[in-house]
Amino acid sequence: MNAFILQQLTLTFRPAKSESRGQRTIAEDHAMTGNHPRFRIVVKRITHEPGVARMASQRGDLPVGGHLAARDPPDDLIHLLGEGKFGHGTHSARASRHGPEEPPLSIGRDSINGMNPQKVRNRYDAVIVGAGAAGLSTALGLHRALESDGNRNGSSPKVLVVSKLQPLRSHTGSAEGGIAASLGNQEKDDWHWHYYDTIKGSDWLADQDAVRILAEQAPSIVIQLEHDGVAFSRTEDGHIAQRKFGGHTADYGGHPVKRAAYAADRIGHQILHALWQQCLRQGVEFAEEWYVTDLVVDPPTDEESGGHARGLIVLDTHAGKLQAIQADNIVLCTGGAGRLFHTTSNSWDLTGDGMALALQSGLQLEDVEFIQFHPTGLGHTGILLSEASRAEGGVLRNSQGRAFMQDYAPGHGDLAARDVVSRSIMAEIDADRGVADPSDPDGPHDCVWLDMTGIDGQRMTTLLPQVTETIHRYAHLDPTVDMVPVKPTAHYTMGGIPITDRGRVYRWQDGRRRIVDGLFAAGECSCVSVHGANRLGGNSLLDACLFGTRTGQTIAAAMSNADKPNDITDTSPLVQILQKRQAFMDELLAGASNAGPSEPALADNQNRESDTSDRSNLNNPYALMGRLGRLMEEAVAVRCDQSSIEKGLRGLNQLDADARQLRAHSGTAVLNQEVTAIMEVDNLLTLARAVLNASLQRRESRGALYRSDYPQRDDEHYLAHTMIDAEENVSWQPVHIVDMPPKGRNY
Amino acid sequence: MTSQSTESDGSKASASDRDPRPVTFRIARFTPRPQSERPARTNPFAKSYPFATAGNRRARGRRWTQEYTIRIAPQRTVLDALLQIKREVDPTLNFRYSCGHGMCGSDAVLINGRPDLLCTATIADCLSVSKTIPNVYASPGVATGNLQAQQPPAFRRTGTTTTATAVSMSASHSGSVSDSDSDSTVPDFLATDPRKTATATKTTGLIGAPHPTEKPDPAESSAVEIRPLPGFTPLRDLIVDTNAMFEQIRRFKPYLLHDDSSADSGQADRTKAAKTEPASEYKQTPEELARYELLSTCIACGLCQSACPIYAGGEAFAGPAAMIAAARFINDSRDSHRQERLEAIDQVDGIQACQSIRACTRPCPRGIDVGEEMWKLVEAVKE
Repeated sequence: MNAFILQQLTLTFRPAKSESRGQRTIAEDHAMTGNHPRFRIVVKRITHEPGVARMASQRGDLPVGGHLAARDPPDDLIHLLGEGKFGHGTHSARASRHGPEEPPLSIGRDSINGMNPQKVRNRYDAVIVGAGAAGLSTALGLHRALESDGNRNGSSPKVLVVSKLQPLRSHTGSAEGGIAASLGNQEKDDWHWHYYDTIKGSDWLADQDAVRILAEQAPSIVIQLEHDGVAFSRTEDGHIAQRKFGGHTADYGGHPVKRAAYAADRIGHQILHALWQQCLRQGVEFAEEWYVTDLVVDPPTDEESGGHARGLIVLDTHAGKLQAIQADNIVLCTGGAGRLFHTTSNSWDLTGDGMALALQSGLQLEDVEFIQFHPTGLGHTGILLSEASRAEGGVLRNSQGRAFMQDYAPGHGDLAARDVVSRSIMAEIDADRGVADPSDPDGPHDCVWLDMTGIDGQRMTTLLPQVTETIHRYAHLDPTVDMVPVKPTAHYTMGGIPITDRGRVYRWQDGRRRIVDGLFAAGECSCVSVHGANRLGGNSLLDACLFGTRTGQTIAAAMSNADKPNDITDTSPLVQILQKRQAFMDELLAGASNAGPSEPALADNQNRESDTSDRSNLNNPYALMGRLGRLMEEAVAVRCDQSSIEKGLRGLNQLDADARQLRAHSGTAVLNQEVTAIMEVDNLLTLARAVLNASLQRRESRGALYRSDYPQRDDEHYLAHTMIDAEENVSWQPVHIVDMPPKGRNY
Repeated sequence: MTSQSTESDGSKASASDRDPRPVTFRIARFTPRPQSERPARTNPFAKSYPFATAGNRRARGRRWTQEYTIRIAPQRTVLDALLQIKREVDPTLNFRYSCGHGMCGSDAVLINGRPDLLCTATIADCLSVSKTIPNVYASPGVATGNLQAQQPPAFRRTGTTTTATAVSMSASHSGSVSDSDSDSTVPDFLATDPRKTATATKTTGLIGAPHPTEKPDPAESSAVEIRPLPGFTPLRDLIVDTNAMFEQIRRFKPYLLHDDSSADSGQADRTKAAKTEPASEYKQTPEELARYELLSTCIACGLCQSACPIYAGGEAFAGPAAMIAAARFINDSRDSHRQERLEAIDQVDGIQACQSIRACTRPCPRGIDVGEEMWKLVEAVKE
C-alpha cells in the first residue's frame, strides 16, 4: 500500500518538481551539476537568485548577495580542507530506536474514517510556523516584497502565521542587551570589523559568506526596525544609541567598540512588539495557539532533489482538533531548545519543535552540539543576570570564598569570554567547591556565588536596575549585602535546521546541498551558519530579523515567478499523516477515564504525601521534562566527555520508554495542555538524542563545546559542520572560509 | 528572618521564607463540554464579554473549585507552585505561562482577588496580604478627587446603593480572602455559575465589601485562591479568551505611521513607504523618547483591563490596554497621525468611557501609571 502510494506520488509530483526547480537559483542549479561535489557548494552560496535580485533592485533596499557575488568571486577558499577528511561519515545501518516520528499507532482503529481528502481543505501559498522575531520578519519581508512588486495578478497570496503562542508572548521579548550593527553612531565602526568579530567569536566554525551578509546588512536592518517603530534609546543628537558588548572590537580585535543598538534593557520586547504591530498593519493572518505536530516532506525523487515539503498537521488547541494544511512554502521559525536543560534562560515553550519536526521528517540538523551557556543564571531559576553585573565589579567566588576566575583566566578574570567563565564555574562545582542555592539548602551544591557587595549601592541601582530587581524578586536577596547563587544557564542553540543564506532548507548528501523545495527556516531554529561554535552577543536578534526578512523576500520572488500555483490535488500523504496523528491523539486522550473530566478524582489522591515518593506513580510530561533536563545537564551542560555522553544516551533510552507510556489525564481535547506537552517532550527527546550523538562525534573542543577528553580545537579534522539526522547518521560539511583563515581565539 | 537554619556562608535574608511548608491553593477549575460544531473562536468578532451577550457565547461545561496542598517555600512564585502541582499532583491543571519572569504577559490571573501575574507574585506575598496591599491605587484616585460623583450607576448589577463602596475597590481587590467566598466585588463570572451558592456569596461579599481597612488577618489567609482573570471569558481552567482585548487594541491602529503625505494610511502611501529605502533612522531626541518610552513597555497582559470596572463590568469600553497602545503612538514624535489618533479614541466607547477610577494603575507589572495616562488622554482629546 505504502509503496503504491509512493509510486503514485512520484509520478504525480514530477512535473511540479521540475517547475519549481525553475524558480531555484541559477547558481544552485549550477552547483548541482558541477564536477566537484565536495567543494562546489561554496561557489553556489555566493551567487543570487534572479527573482530576488530583481526585486531588490526595484526596492533598492537590499544590497544583497548579488552584489557580493559580483565583487567577490569566492574562488579558492576551501583548499585548506583535505580531501577525504569530510567524507559523509559512517552511514550506520543500525536501526533507530527513536525513529522518525513514530507515535504508537493503535491497531485496528478504524474510527478515523472521518478523515478523507476533503478534510484537507486548507491550502496556503505560505505558512510560517512561529511568531517571534524570525517568523514576524519573514511575514513582513514577504508581504512587503509582494506589495512593492505591485502586480498581484488579482488574487493576493494566502499567507498564514501559525504559532503555539500569541505572538507577543514569544521569547524574543526577553532579549535584553542589544542588536549588533556597525552604524557607527557614537564612534567609528566598520562592518568588516563586525564580520571579523563574529567569525572569531564563532571559533572559525561560521560560514564566512553568510557572516559577511550579516555584518554588511546589519545597519539597514536596524534602521528598518527603527522605522517599524522600535523605541531605540537615543544619543543626544537623536540617533540610535549604541553600547559596548563583549567581543565587539575595532580594527579586527582591537579596542572595544560601541556596536550594540539598544532600547534600555529591553531591545527584544521592543523589536517583538514593533514587528507584530507592523504585521497588523499589513494584515497578516495569524492562527494563534495552534501547535504544529507534523511536517510532511516527500523524500527526494532523484539524485538532484532534496525532497519537497507538502504541508503541515496542526493542532488547534482551542478546538482540540487536528487538521492538515497544504502549503507551497513552509517556513520554520520556532526558536531554540533551551528546555533541553533544567537550568535555562529560555521560556517554557522553547522545546525545539521546529528542529524536531525537521528530524522527524527525515531531514538533518547542523551543529546541534553547540549550545551556549550564559555563565550567570540566577540560582534555581536560570533567569539571566546580565554580564554587566561583572563588568561593574561583581566577582565570582567558590564555597571557600575564593575569587577563582583569576586562577582560570589570569588577566581577564571575571570578564573572560562566556564559555570560559561557564567552564570555570563548572570546574569549581565538579571539584566540590560549589555552593547550594540558599532557597534549597539541602539540594545539590551546583552554584557559585556572585559577590556584588563590593559595588556601591547607589551605583548598583543606577547601572544595574534590571539585575538588582531580578535578584530581589526571584532570589529575595539584597545584592548589596548578600551573595547571590549563580550557575551557567542554557541560553542559545547555535545549530539547527541547515539553510542557505536565502533561507532554503537543504539536505547535505553526497557532499553537496540538495534543496528541499518549498521548505524554509529562519532564526534560532535554523543554522545559516553565522554563529558557528559560539554566538557573539547582539547577533541573535540580527540573525532572526535579517535572515527572516530575506526568507520572506525569497518566497515572494518565488511566488511571482511561478506562473500559477502548483495545483496538487493529491493530498494522500498529508491525509495519511493526519490519520496517524489523529490515532495518536485519540490514544492519548483515551488514557483518561471517559467519565467526563476526571480531574477531581485524580486530585483526591493527592492527600497522600504528594511531594516525594509517589512521583513515579505519576508519569506525566512535566515530570519527564524535568528528568530530561537533569539528564542533559549531567551529560553535556558546559562540558562533557565520552563517558558522560554515553551515560546520557543510556538514560535517554529509559526516558524514551517512559515517554511512550505517556497518556493525558484528562479526556477533554479542548485546551488540553498536557497533550501538547506530551508532543513537546517527544520533540525534546528526539532532539536530545541528536545533540548527544553530535557531541559524541565531534572529538575536539571548540567554542561552546568543551570535551574534557579532547580539550583542543582540531582544525585538521573538525573544521566542518556536523550534519546529523534522526537515524544518527553523521556527515560533515566543510566550513565556508572566504576571507579569514582560522586563527587562535583568545580574549 | 529570625531563624537561621540555613548554612550561614550565604545570605541571611528571611531564611524562614526559604523553608518549604504546606500551602493550600484553591483554584477555580473549568472544563468545557466538548462541542460538536466548531467553537466560536473562528469568528474573531465574537463578543466575549461575559455579560454583554448573555448565555449564548458562554461555554458550557463543568465548574468546580479544587484544592491542592503542596510543600513549597513561601519565597517561590505562584507559577512555581502551579508548575509543581502540574508535575507532582495534577497534570490536568491548565494555565498559560511562558517566560516565567514577567516579560511575556501570558500568565495574568486573579490571585486572592487581585489581578496579578503568576510569575511575579510570590507565595509569601499572597499569604501575608498586609505586606502587599498598599494604598497605591487608592491614592491617585483620591488625588483627582470626587470619584464617587462620577461613578457610573450601572457598572455593577448588584449593590447599586453604595457608590462609595464601589470606589473602594482597593478593599475588594486587596484580597483579604479568608476562605471560599472570595469573589468579593470583582466583576465575576460566578453570577451565572451553576453553583447557586456562589451568587449568594457574591452578594454578601459585596455588601460587606467596605472591609474598610487593609488589614487582613494573616493567620486566616493560609490559602492562595486563584481564579481566571475577570473581564475575560474563561476557556478552560485559568485560561481565558484574550481575543476581545487584542481586537480592541487593533482598532486604534497600534503601529507607527510615518509619512509626509498625510491623508489616510491607505494603500497608496503604504506602497510608497515600502518602496522607500530606509537610508537613515528617523531622528528622535532622548526627551521625545521619554514621552512615550514607558508606554512602549506595555506587555498586553490584560491586568489593567481586568481591574477596570467599566471594561470588566461589560460597559462598552475599549479598555485601558487599548488606550495605552493608542497613547504610545500619540506621544511618539515619529508618528504623523496624532490628530487622527486622538479623534479615533474620542468616542463613547473610547476614552470618553473612562471614569478616572484609576483601578487600572495598581496592577501594571511594568509600572505604567495607567490611570494617569488615561487622564492625560482625556485632556489631550479636549484640546
